[in-house]
Amino acid sequence: MRGQAGGAAGFLQPPDSDVQSWMAKAFDMARDALENGEVPVGCLMVYNDEILGKGRNEVNESRNATRHAEMVALDQVLEWSRLKQLDPKEVCKLTVLYVTVEPCIMCAAALRLLHIPLVVYGCKNDRFGGCGSVLDISSDDLPHTGASFKCISGHRAEEAIEMLKTFYKQENPNAPKPKVRKGGQSSRGLCCPAEKSSSS
Amino acid sequence: MEPDTKRRKGTEYDTDLWDVLPVLSDEQSRDTKLLDAYAAPITEKRETSRLVKELAVVYPLPDLQHIKRVRARKDKNAPHPLEVIVCLASDVSGLESQRSTLADLLSSKTIDSRGLGEPFLVQIPASPPLTRPQFERASKHWPTSFHEDKQVTSALRGQLFSSSEKAKMGEYMNAAIQAARSGHALGMDAVGAVIVDPQSGQIVAVGHDCRQGTHPLHHAVMVCIDLVAYTQGGGAYEYEKYPACRYSVPESQVTTSHDDLSKEGNHCSSDKAMENGQLYICTGYELYVTREPCVMCAMALVHSRISRVFYGAASTDGALGTKYKIHCQKDLNHHFDVYKGVMLQACEELLDLK
Ligand SMILES: [Zn+2]
Ligand SMILES: [Zn+2]
Repeated sequence: MRGQAGGAAGFLQPPDSDVQSWMAKAFDMARDALENGEVPVGCLMVYNDEILGKGRNEVNESRNATRHAEMVALDQVLEWSRLKQLDPKEVCKLTVLYVTVEPCIMCAAALRLLHIPLVVYGCKNDRFGGCGSVLDISSDDLPHTGASFKCISGHRAEEAIEMLKTFYKQENPNAPKPKVRKGGQSSRGLCCPAEKSSSS
Repeated sequence: MEPDTKRRKGTEYDTDLWDVLPVLSDEQSRDTKLLDAYAAPITEKRETSRLVKELAVVYPLPDLQHIKRVRARKDKNAPHPLEVIVCLASDVSGLESQRSTLADLLSSKTIDSRGLGEPFLVQIPASPPLTRPQFERASKHWPTSFHEDKQVTSALRGQLFSSSEKAKMGEYMNAAIQAARSGHALGMDAVGAVIVDPQSGQIVAVGHDCRQGTHPLHHAVMVCIDLVAYTQGGGAYEYEKYPACRYSVPESQVTTSHDDLSKEGNHCSSDKAMENGQLYICTGYELYVTREPCVMCAMALVHSRISRVFYGAASTDGALGTKYKIHCQKDLNHHFDVYKGVMLQACEELLDLK
């Protein structure tokens, strides 16, 4: 069993039709990431039927390896709360994350810290997953790391996996090219030869 | 490495006051599991090698390569100086009695038991010892082989770093402590962090906790990672309100030297590792942080490919030793060494600042 999200249980189960349409938008974001040479993960933050945040990976653009889709979208939720002069924690407590891939350990911790109660995701993330795949940050007992959250998984999982495979296996033609060493080998091959393939 | 005899006394970073201890994996730090086994005295010494060979055929111990099949009795006056493992208790689990005889153990086996005495129960280590303390504990039960990692041994004794290396660490941690104090003066949690390029010794980024300010996720480590991104033409946030959060572009990045081609190792500061179109911006860098990072920050360091982390005080939900050991978590594709205890007292004092 996943940990129960406190307080907001009433709104937790969105109707299936809503889930479908929100997830469709998250997949659009993931495709956008793929076309921009970023890891194809897309997400939405939805509060009272309103999209407060939309994110896709921005690691390359920002040269910051923590700029995952979820972190990008959380920033927008915080900004929205600020503009509306609402307490960001109160807003987050009623915000659902829709994301194409299981959040990683870092993002799962960030979601906890901000009290996001529910995450709906597509496929598992075997390499970094923080909602049960590598660690279970979503429901472990971490009294100083915000609140545990609930997960609903499996929406269009196949499609999410396919996108990741496309990204990891065939070198993305739109991705910024890695610098090639004078020896003719790319630094990619030198630094991480034993990389696992994407989730399956 | 320099000898540990020259100690600097009375300096700001008095290195006698703290130890730098490694945060090892669970496999390296747990007590060795034990298995029940039957051993028997070798009553005729000249039969030893034949017995060992034949026992290895009838009762092979395939998952216990580290176990020495024969041990010498420590008691020199014992009637039979050698003892041999006959089999695991689980190999003969069909046997009812705890006091099985040699005939029970070897019935239905083709072996000449000449030279073997009556068996007795012993406990043997189930897995190979990975550290000297594990080896010493294991050896109390039954002798094992041990491939010692000298670096881990001296790290566990707090002797991996010379006092001049520790003085340097103290300097970096002191910069992190100063940053923590600056942040605290602005109403932030008193946590500071510094990212260093160990090749040049240069501080690349200094940050403090900013979570009470514009962004609740701006922990000191996250701030530092973003500041390193700035040194590479990126960066996601503004830190104008926090003058103590700053970066400086490493010299190695400004001038590209020919040496780069020859130095493969972990020298990546001017040629950041890139894989699948992703940059790993902290490759080759080290982090000093006043308290143990949380889960978010620890995983951010994995994503950023940090090479080593040094922290002062532990924290309750800490992810580099206390609750998790994300730096050596199985399944993750990047691992790094973690040391704790750097300027412990000064770092612990920060925790008490309200
Ligand atoms: Zn993530
Ligand atoms: Zn943190």
